[in-house]
Amino acid sequence: MMTLRRGLLCSVVLILAVLVEVTILAPLPFPGATPTLVLVVVVALSAQFGASTGAVCGFTGGLLVDIAPPAAGTIGVTALLLTVVGYVVGRFAESDDRPWPSFVVLAAVAAGFTTLGGAVIGGLLGDPRVRWDEVLGLMLSSSLYAAILALVLLLPIAWLSRRIVPEAYTR
Amino acid sequence: MRDTRRSRIILAILVLTSITLIVFDLRGGDGGITRPLRVVGETVLGSAERAMAVVVIPLRDGVESLSSLGETQQRLTELEAENARLRAELDTVDIDRARVADVDALIGLVDANDYVTVPAQVIGVGPAQGFAWTVTIDSGSRDGVEKDMSVIRGAGLVGRTIEVGPTTSTVLLIVDATSSVGGRLSGTSQIGIIAGTGRQDSLQMQLLDPLAVVDIGDVVVSFGSEGGRPYAPGIPIGVVAEMRGTQGQLTRSALLTPYVDISRLDIVGVVLRAPESPPREVLTPNSGGG
Repeated sequence: MMTLRRGLLCSVVLILAVLVEVTILAPLPFPGATPTLVLVVVVALSAQFGASTGAVCGFTGGLLVDIAPPAAGTIGVTALLLTVVGYVVGRFAESDDRPWPSFVVLAAVAAGFTTLGGAVIGGLLGDPRVRWDEVLGLMLSSSLYAAILALVLLLPIAWLSRRIVPEAYTR
Repeated sequence: MRDTRRSRIILAILVLTSITLIVFDLRGGDGGITRPLRVVGETVLGSAERAMAVVVIPLRDGVESLSSLGETQQRLTELEAENARLRAELDTVDIDRARVADVDALIGLVDANDYVTVPAQVIGVGPAQGFAWTVTIDSGSRDGVEKDMSVIRGAGLVGRTIEVGPTTSTVLLIVDATSSVGGRLSGTSQIGIIAGTGRQDSLQMQLLDPLAVVDIGDVVVSFGSEGGRPYAPGIPIGVVAEMRGTQGQLTRSALLTPYVDISRLDIVGVVLRAPESPPREVLTPNSGGG
Protein backbone atom coordinates (compact mmCIF):
# COMPACT_ATOMS: atom_id res chain seq x y z
CA MET A 1 0.00 0.00 0.00
CA MET A 2 2.72 2.40 1.04
CA THR A 3 4.85 1.60 -2.01
CA LEU A 4 1.86 2.08 -4.28
CA ARG A 5 0.96 5.46 -2.83
CA ARG A 6 4.58 6.59 -2.85
CA GLY A 7 4.93 5.49 -6.46
CA LEU A 8 1.76 7.31 -7.45
CA LEU A 9 2.81 10.49 -5.68
CA CYS A 10 6.25 10.46 -7.33
CA SER A 11 4.86 9.65 -10.79
CA VAL A 12 2.19 12.35 -10.70
CA VAL A 13 4.58 15.03 -9.43
CA LEU A 14 7.27 14.09 -11.96
CA ILE A 15 4.92 14.00 -14.96
CA LEU A 16 3.44 17.37 -13.97
CA ALA A 17 6.96 18.78 -13.60
CA VAL A 18 7.96 17.59 -17.09
CA LEU A 19 4.82 19.08 -18.66
CA VAL A 20 5.19 22.42 -16.86
CA GLU A 21 8.87 22.60 -17.82
CA VAL A 22 8.22 22.01 -21.53
CA THR A 23 5.04 24.04 -21.97
CA ILE A 24 5.54 26.92 -19.52
CA LEU A 25 9.13 27.38 -18.37
CA ALA A 26 11.07 26.64 -21.57
CA PRO A 27 9.01 28.96 -23.83
CA LEU A 28 9.41 31.90 -21.42
CA PRO A 29 12.43 34.06 -22.24
CA PHE A 30 14.51 33.38 -19.11
CA PRO A 31 18.07 34.62 -19.52
CA GLY A 32 20.45 31.66 -19.79
CA ALA A 33 19.23 28.21 -18.89
CA THR A 34 15.68 26.94 -18.62
CA PRO A 35 14.65 26.44 -14.97
CA THR A 36 14.98 22.70 -14.34
CA LEU A 37 11.78 21.96 -12.48
CA VAL A 38 12.16 18.20 -12.90
CA LEU A 39 15.55 18.24 -11.20
CA VAL A 40 14.20 20.23 -8.25
CA VAL A 41 11.30 17.79 -7.88
CA VAL A 42 13.74 14.86 -7.92
CA VAL A 43 15.79 16.57 -5.19
CA ALA A 44 12.65 17.23 -3.13
CA LEU A 45 11.38 13.63 -3.43
CA SER A 46 14.81 12.17 -2.68
CA ALA A 47 15.05 14.38 0.40
CA GLN A 48 11.81 12.80 1.64
CA PHE A 49 12.20 9.15 0.68
CA GLY A 50 15.93 8.43 0.65
CA ALA A 51 18.44 7.02 -1.80
CA SER A 52 16.53 4.06 -3.32
CA THR A 53 13.38 6.01 -4.14
CA GLY A 54 15.57 8.99 -5.05
CA ALA A 55 17.48 7.03 -7.66
CA VAL A 56 14.26 5.57 -9.11
CA CYS A 57 12.61 9.02 -9.21
CA GLY A 58 15.71 10.48 -10.84
CA PHE A 59 15.77 7.78 -13.49
CA THR A 60 12.04 8.10 -14.20
CA GLY A 61 12.09 11.90 -14.29
CA GLY A 62 15.18 11.91 -16.50
CA LEU A 63 13.71 9.38 -18.90
CA LEU A 64 10.52 11.46 -19.15
CA VAL A 65 12.62 14.54 -19.96
CA ASP A 66 14.52 12.50 -22.58
CA ILE A 67 11.37 11.36 -24.41
CA ALA A 68 8.91 14.23 -23.86
CA PRO A 69 8.57 16.15 -27.14
CA PRO A 70 10.35 18.22 -28.39
CA ALA A 71 13.32 16.34 -26.85
CA ALA A 72 15.93 15.71 -29.54
CA GLY A 73 18.92 14.59 -27.50
CA THR A 74 20.12 11.07 -26.81
CA ILE A 75 17.72 8.99 -24.73
CA GLY A 76 19.26 8.06 -21.39
CA VAL A 77 21.54 11.05 -20.78
CA THR A 78 19.20 12.97 -18.47
CA ALA A 79 18.09 9.67 -16.92
CA LEU A 80 21.69 8.87 -16.03
CA LEU A 81 22.41 12.31 -14.57
CA LEU A 82 19.23 12.51 -12.51
CA THR A 83 19.65 8.94 -11.21
CA VAL A 84 22.96 10.04 -9.70
CA VAL A 85 21.38 13.23 -8.33
CA GLY A 86 18.49 11.31 -6.74
CA TYR A 87 20.83 8.78 -5.17
CA VAL A 88 23.28 11.33 -3.76
CA VAL A 89 20.57 13.62 -2.37
CA GLY A 90 18.74 10.61 -0.91
CA ARG A 91 21.91 9.35 0.74
CA PHE A 92 22.56 12.83 2.18
CA ALA A 93 19.00 12.95 3.52
CA GLU A 94 19.29 9.53 5.21
CA SER A 95 22.04 10.50 7.62
CA ASP A 96 20.63 12.40 10.61
CA ASP A 97 18.24 15.29 10.50
CA ARG A 98 19.25 17.72 7.81
CA PRO A 99 17.85 21.25 7.88
CA TRP A 100 15.71 21.81 4.80
CA PRO A 101 17.66 24.85 3.51
CA SER A 102 20.63 22.53 2.93
CA PHE A 103 18.59 20.93 0.16
CA VAL A 104 18.25 24.33 -1.52
CA VAL A 105 22.03 24.43 -1.80
CA LEU A 106 22.04 20.82 -2.94
CA ALA A 107 19.49 21.59 -5.68
CA ALA A 108 21.65 24.46 -6.96
CA VAL A 109 24.77 22.28 -7.00
CA ALA A 110 22.86 19.46 -8.70
CA ALA A 111 21.60 21.86 -11.40
CA GLY A 112 25.14 23.01 -12.15
CA PHE A 113 26.30 19.39 -12.16
CA THR A 114 23.61 18.17 -14.58
CA THR A 115 24.17 21.10 -16.95
CA LEU A 116 27.92 20.45 -17.04
CA GLY A 117 27.37 16.68 -17.13
CA GLY A 118 24.95 16.98 -20.05
CA ALA A 119 27.48 19.06 -22.01
CA VAL A 120 30.36 16.68 -21.19
CA ILE A 121 28.40 13.56 -22.16
CA GLY A 122 27.18 15.34 -25.31
CA GLY A 123 30.77 16.26 -26.14
CA LEU A 124 31.99 12.71 -25.56
CA LEU A 125 29.25 11.31 -27.78
CA GLY A 126 30.14 13.77 -30.52
CA ASP A 127 26.99 15.90 -30.34
CA PRO A 128 27.63 18.90 -32.65
CA ARG A 129 25.18 21.03 -30.68
CA VAL A 130 27.26 21.56 -27.53
CA ARG A 131 28.48 25.15 -27.24
CA TRP A 132 31.27 25.27 -24.68
CA ASP A 133 31.40 29.06 -24.54
CA GLU A 134 27.89 29.04 -23.11
CA VAL A 135 28.25 26.21 -20.59
CA LEU A 136 29.49 28.31 -17.65
CA GLY A 137 26.67 30.84 -18.05
CA LEU A 138 24.12 28.04 -18.32
CA MET A 139 25.51 26.36 -15.19
CA LEU A 140 25.28 29.56 -13.15
CA SER A 141 21.79 30.48 -14.34
CA SER A 142 20.41 26.96 -13.92
CA SER A 143 21.86 26.81 -10.38
CA LEU A 144 20.21 30.10 -9.51
CA TYR A 145 16.83 29.03 -10.92
CA ALA A 146 17.06 25.65 -9.18
CA ALA A 147 17.73 27.35 -5.83
CA ILE A 148 14.70 29.60 -6.28
CA LEU A 149 12.45 26.71 -7.34
CA ALA A 150 13.72 24.63 -4.41
CA LEU A 151 12.90 27.44 -1.96
CA VAL A 152 9.35 27.44 -3.26
CA LEU A 153 8.81 23.70 -3.70
CA LEU A 154 10.71 21.81 -0.98
CA LEU A 155 8.25 22.43 1.83
CA PRO A 156 5.04 21.83 -0.18
CA ILE A 157 6.42 18.54 -1.50
CA ALA A 158 7.54 17.53 2.01
CA TRP A 159 4.04 18.32 3.30
CA LEU A 160 2.41 16.38 0.49
CA SER A 161 4.67 13.39 1.12
CA ARG A 162 3.82 13.35 4.83
CA ARG A 163 0.12 13.54 4.06
CA ILE A 164 0.08 10.82 1.43
CA VAL A 165 2.76 8.44 2.72
CA PRO A 166 2.89 8.93 6.53
CA GLU A 167 4.36 5.43 7.08
CA ALA A 168 7.63 6.48 5.45
CA TYR A 169 8.34 8.79 8.38
CA THR A 170 8.00 6.33 11.28
CA ARG A 171 11.50 5.02 11.59
CA MET B 1 19.97 3.47 9.39
CA ARG B 2 18.37 2.27 6.21
CA ASP B 3 19.56 -0.51 4.00
CA THR B 4 22.39 1.10 2.01
CA ARG B 5 23.24 -2.12 0.15
CA ARG B 6 19.83 -2.25 -1.47
CA SER B 7 20.01 1.37 -2.62
CA ARG B 8 23.47 0.83 -4.05
CA ILE B 9 22.23 -2.12 -6.09
CA ILE B 10 19.32 -0.02 -7.36
CA LEU B 11 21.74 2.77 -8.29
CA ALA B 12 23.96 0.35 -10.20
CA ILE B 13 21.03 -1.15 -12.11
CA LEU B 14 19.62 2.24 -13.08
CA VAL B 15 22.99 3.65 -14.14
CA LEU B 16 23.61 0.58 -16.31
CA THR B 17 20.11 0.85 -17.78
CA SER B 18 20.72 4.51 -18.64
CA ILE B 19 24.03 3.75 -20.31
CA THR B 20 22.43 0.89 -22.26
CA LEU B 21 19.70 3.26 -23.43
CA ILE B 22 22.29 5.82 -24.53
CA VAL B 23 24.23 3.21 -26.51
CA PHE B 24 21.15 1.77 -28.19
CA ASP B 25 19.74 5.20 -28.96
CA LEU B 26 23.00 6.30 -30.59
CA ARG B 27 23.42 3.12 -32.61
CA GLY B 28 19.80 2.44 -33.48
CA GLY B 29 18.89 5.45 -35.56
CA ASP B 30 15.32 5.40 -36.77
CA GLY B 31 14.66 1.68 -36.45
CA GLY B 32 16.43 1.13 -33.13
CA ILE B 33 15.31 -0.43 -29.89
CA THR B 34 14.65 2.98 -28.31
CA ARG B 35 12.23 3.88 -31.11
CA PRO B 36 9.13 2.76 -29.14
CA LEU B 37 10.18 5.08 -26.30
CA ARG B 38 10.12 8.07 -28.65
CA VAL B 39 6.76 6.98 -30.04
CA VAL B 40 5.35 6.73 -26.51
CA GLY B 41 6.81 10.15 -25.72
CA GLU B 42 5.32 11.77 -28.80
CA THR B 43 1.95 10.04 -28.37
CA VAL B 44 1.32 10.13 -24.62
CA LEU B 45 3.38 13.08 -23.39
CA GLY B 46 2.66 15.01 -26.59
CA SER B 47 -1.08 14.67 -26.05
CA ALA B 48 -0.64 15.70 -22.43
CA GLU B 49 1.32 18.78 -23.51
CA ARG B 50 -1.45 19.60 -25.96
CA ALA B 51 -4.09 19.37 -23.23
CA MET B 52 -1.89 21.48 -20.97
CA ALA B 53 -1.41 24.12 -23.69
CA VAL B 54 -5.11 25.01 -23.63
CA VAL B 55 -4.67 26.41 -20.11
CA VAL B 56 -1.07 27.45 -20.39
CA ILE B 57 -0.87 29.54 -23.55
CA PRO B 58 -3.11 32.43 -22.42
CA LEU B 59 -1.14 32.42 -19.14
CA ARG B 60 2.20 32.45 -20.94
CA ASP B 61 1.12 35.26 -23.22
CA GLY B 62 0.08 37.26 -20.17
CA VAL B 63 3.47 36.87 -18.51
CA GLU B 64 5.26 37.66 -21.74
CA SER B 65 3.32 40.85 -22.41
CA LEU B 66 3.91 41.96 -18.80
CA SER B 67 7.63 41.45 -19.03
CA SER B 68 7.86 43.38 -22.28
CA LEU B 69 5.73 46.44 -21.51
CA GLY B 70 8.50 48.95 -22.18
CA GLU B 71 9.53 47.11 -25.30
CA THR B 72 5.97 47.19 -26.60
CA GLN B 73 5.84 50.98 -26.52
CA GLN B 74 9.12 51.26 -28.38
CA ARG B 75 8.01 48.67 -30.87
CA LEU B 76 4.81 50.60 -31.48
CA THR B 77 6.78 53.70 -32.42
CA GLU B 78 8.99 51.67 -34.71
CA LEU B 79 6.02 50.05 -36.37
CA GLU B 80 4.32 53.42 -36.92
CA ALA B 81 7.43 54.70 -38.66
CA GLU B 82 7.66 51.55 -40.73
CA ASN B 83 3.99 51.81 -41.58
CA ALA B 84 4.43 55.33 -42.93
CA ARG B 85 7.39 54.26 -45.01
CA LEU B 86 5.55 51.23 -46.38
CA ARG B 87 2.53 53.36 -47.24
CA ALA B 88 4.77 55.57 -49.36
CA GLU B 89 6.24 52.52 -51.03
CA LEU B 90 2.81 51.13 -51.72
CA ASP B 91 2.11 53.88 -54.20
CA THR B 92 4.74 52.56 -56.53
CA VAL B 93 3.84 48.95 -56.06
CA ASP B 94 1.57 48.55 -59.07
CA ILE B 95 4.31 49.46 -61.47
CA ASP B 96 6.62 46.98 -59.84
CA ARG B 97 4.15 44.17 -59.54
CA ALA B 98 4.18 43.08 -63.13
CA ARG B 99 7.94 43.10 -63.17
CA VAL B 100 8.14 41.21 -59.88
CA ALA B 101 5.90 38.44 -61.17
CA ASP B 102 8.26 37.83 -64.05
CA VAL B 103 11.32 37.86 -61.84
CA ASP B 104 9.67 35.58 -59.28
CA ALA B 105 8.97 32.98 -61.90
CA LEU B 106 12.58 33.16 -62.93
CA ILE B 107 14.29 33.00 -59.57
CA GLY B 108 11.87 30.67 -57.89
CA LEU B 109 10.35 32.74 -55.12
CA VAL B 110 6.96 31.27 -54.43
CA ASP B 111 3.89 33.02 -53.14
CA ALA B 112 3.26 31.61 -49.67
CA ASN B 113 -0.39 31.14 -50.65
CA ASP B 114 0.54 28.53 -53.22
CA TYR B 115 1.48 26.03 -50.54
CA VAL B 116 -1.05 23.70 -49.01
CA THR B 117 -0.35 24.13 -45.31
CA VAL B 118 -1.92 23.08 -42.06
CA PRO B 119 -1.71 25.69 -39.29
CA ALA B 120 -0.27 24.75 -35.91
CA GLN B 121 0.43 26.37 -32.58
CA VAL B 122 3.79 26.00 -30.85
CA ILE B 123 3.02 24.37 -27.50
CA GLY B 124 6.37 23.21 -26.18
CA VAL B 125 10.02 24.16 -26.35
CA GLY B 126 13.19 22.25 -25.49
CA PRO B 127 15.33 23.42 -22.54
CA ALA B 128 18.16 25.83 -23.36
CA GLN B 129 20.79 23.69 -21.62
CA GLY B 130 20.06 20.85 -24.05
CA PHE B 131 21.46 23.05 -26.84
CA ALA B 132 18.82 21.67 -29.23
CA TRP B 133 16.49 24.02 -31.07
CA THR B 134 13.29 22.03 -31.29
CA VAL B 135 9.65 22.84 -30.62
CA THR B 136 6.43 20.86 -30.27
CA ILE B 137 3.45 21.88 -32.39
CA ASP B 138 -0.17 20.84 -31.96
CA SER B 139 -0.68 19.20 -35.35
CA GLY B 140 0.05 15.58 -35.99
CA SER B 141 -0.67 12.65 -38.28
CA ARG B 142 -4.42 13.18 -37.81
CA ASP B 143 -4.02 16.54 -39.54
CA GLY B 144 -2.03 15.02 -42.38
CA VAL B 145 1.40 15.92 -41.02
CA GLU B 146 4.18 13.45 -41.79
CA LYS B 147 7.85 13.22 -40.96
CA ASP B 148 10.14 15.51 -42.96
CA MET B 149 7.74 18.25 -43.95
CA SER B 150 8.70 21.92 -44.12
CA VAL B 151 7.41 24.20 -41.39
CA ILE B 152 6.97 27.87 -42.25
CA ARG B 153 5.86 30.99 -40.51
CA GLY B 154 4.39 33.73 -42.62
CA ALA B 155 6.62 33.54 -45.65
CA GLY B 156 9.80 32.23 -44.06
CA LEU B 157 11.22 28.79 -43.34
CA VAL B 158 11.16 27.69 -39.70
CA GLY B 159 12.28 24.06 -39.86
CA ARG B 160 11.09 20.56 -40.59
CA THR B 161 9.13 17.90 -38.73
CA ILE B 162 11.34 15.15 -37.29
CA GLU B 163 8.86 13.24 -35.14
CA VAL B 164 5.12 12.95 -35.64
CA GLY B 165 2.51 11.74 -33.15
CA PRO B 166 -1.24 11.54 -33.64
CA THR B 167 -1.93 15.08 -32.42
CA THR B 168 1.52 16.65 -32.02
CA SER B 169 4.78 16.87 -33.94
CA THR B 170 8.34 17.82 -33.13
CA VAL B 171 9.97 20.43 -35.33
CA LEU B 172 13.72 20.78 -35.79
CA LEU B 173 14.35 24.50 -36.26
CA ILE B 174 16.78 25.68 -38.95
CA VAL B 175 19.00 27.33 -36.32
CA ASP B 176 19.71 23.96 -34.66
CA ALA B 177 23.33 22.89 -35.09
CA THR B 178 22.28 19.61 -36.72
CA SER B 179 20.01 21.27 -39.29
CA SER B 180 21.16 21.82 -42.85
CA VAL B 181 19.12 23.13 -45.74
CA GLY B 182 20.02 23.51 -49.39
CA GLY B 183 19.49 27.08 -50.44
CA ARG B 184 20.24 29.59 -53.12
CA LEU B 185 20.63 33.31 -53.37
CA SER B 186 17.50 34.66 -55.00
CA GLY B 187 19.42 37.22 -57.02
CA THR B 188 22.25 35.23 -58.54
CA SER B 189 20.99 31.67 -58.02
CA GLN B 190 24.27 30.76 -56.32
CA ILE B 191 23.69 27.61 -54.29
CA GLY B 192 24.99 26.57 -50.89
CA ILE B 193 24.30 24.64 -47.72
CA ILE B 194 22.71 26.54 -44.85
CA ALA B 195 23.59 25.10 -41.45
CA GLY B 196 22.32 26.15 -38.05
CA THR B 197 24.83 27.68 -35.65
CA GLY B 198 22.96 26.91 -32.45
CA ARG B 199 22.23 30.62 -32.04
CA GLN B 200 18.76 31.87 -32.73
CA ASP B 201 19.94 34.92 -34.67
CA SER B 202 22.36 33.49 -37.17
CA LEU B 203 22.76 30.82 -39.84
CA GLN B 204 25.84 29.89 -41.78
CA MET B 205 25.75 29.39 -45.52
CA GLN B 206 28.57 27.45 -47.12
CA LEU B 207 28.82 28.61 -50.72
CA LEU B 208 29.59 25.99 -53.30
CA ASP B 209 31.08 28.47 -55.74
CA PRO B 210 34.01 30.29 -54.11
CA LEU B 211 33.86 32.99 -56.79
CA ALA B 212 30.20 33.82 -56.17
CA VAL B 213 29.32 37.47 -55.92
CA VAL B 214 27.26 37.96 -52.79
CA ASP B 215 25.88 41.22 -51.51
CA ILE B 216 24.85 41.99 -47.96
CA GLY B 217 21.05 41.98 -47.86
CA ASP B 218 20.61 39.27 -50.50
CA VAL B 219 17.76 36.89 -49.72
CA VAL B 220 18.42 33.16 -49.58
CA VAL B 221 15.56 30.82 -50.48
CA SER B 222 15.31 27.06 -50.06
CA PHE B 223 16.53 25.04 -53.01
CA GLY B 224 13.89 22.40 -52.54
CA SER B 225 14.27 18.65 -52.34
CA GLU B 226 12.87 15.82 -54.41
CA GLY B 227 9.08 15.92 -53.98
CA GLY B 228 9.32 18.99 -51.76
CA ARG B 229 10.42 16.90 -48.74
CA PRO B 230 11.88 17.67 -46.33
CA TYR B 231 12.17 21.17 -47.74
CA ALA B 232 9.77 22.66 -50.22
CA PRO B 233 11.40 24.94 -52.79
CA GLY B 234 11.36 28.72 -52.85
CA ILE B 235 10.80 29.47 -49.17
CA PRO B 236 12.89 32.38 -47.86
CA ILE B 237 15.42 31.22 -45.25
CA GLY B 238 17.49 34.26 -44.41
CA VAL B 239 19.16 37.47 -45.43
CA VAL B 240 22.92 37.75 -45.93
CA ALA B 241 24.34 39.74 -43.02
CA GLU B 242 28.07 39.17 -43.32
CA MET B 243 30.59 37.48 -45.59
CA ARG B 244 33.37 35.29 -44.22
CA GLY B 245 36.47 34.75 -46.32
CA THR B 246 37.45 36.57 -49.46
CA GLN B 247 36.38 35.88 -52.98
CA GLY B 248 38.14 32.84 -54.45
CA GLN B 249 39.01 31.37 -51.06
CA LEU B 250 38.00 27.71 -50.81
CA THR B 251 36.00 27.95 -47.62
CA ARG B 252 33.79 30.89 -48.27
CA SER B 253 30.69 31.29 -46.22
CA ALA B 254 28.00 33.83 -45.50
CA LEU B 255 26.37 34.56 -42.19
CA LEU B 256 22.63 34.89 -42.58
CA THR B 257 20.01 36.45 -40.36
CA PRO B 258 17.02 34.08 -40.29
CA TYR B 259 14.02 35.38 -42.18
CA VAL B 260 11.79 34.36 -39.31
CA ASP B 261 12.28 35.51 -35.71
CA ILE B 262 12.76 32.14 -34.03
CA SER B 263 12.26 33.54 -30.53
CA ARG B 264 8.73 34.67 -31.33
CA LEU B 265 7.26 31.52 -32.79
CA ASP B 266 3.58 31.17 -32.11
CA ILE B 267 1.51 30.08 -35.08
CA VAL B 268 3.32 28.18 -37.82
CA GLY B 269 2.26 26.24 -40.90
CA VAL B 270 3.27 22.76 -41.98
CA VAL B 271 3.63 22.46 -45.74
CA LEU B 272 1.62 19.42 -46.77
CA ARG B 273 2.13 19.97 -50.46
CA ALA B 274 4.35 22.23 -52.50
CA PRO B 275 2.78 24.12 -55.42
CA GLU B 276 1.66 21.95 -58.32
CA SER B 277 3.82 23.71 -60.88
CA PRO B 278 7.55 23.83 -60.29
CA PRO B 279 8.43 27.25 -58.90
CA ARG B 280 11.28 27.67 -61.32
CA GLU B 281 9.98 27.34 -64.81
CA VAL B 282 12.11 25.62 -67.35
CA LEU B 283 13.35 28.14 -69.84
CA THR B 284 13.19 26.98 -73.43
CA PRO B 285 13.83 29.02 -76.55
CA ASN B 286 10.13 29.33 -77.30
CA SER B 287 8.98 30.09 -73.77
CA GLY B 288 10.17 33.67 -74.18
CA GLY B 289 7.88 36.64 -74.14
CA GLY B 290 6.40 35.77 -70.72
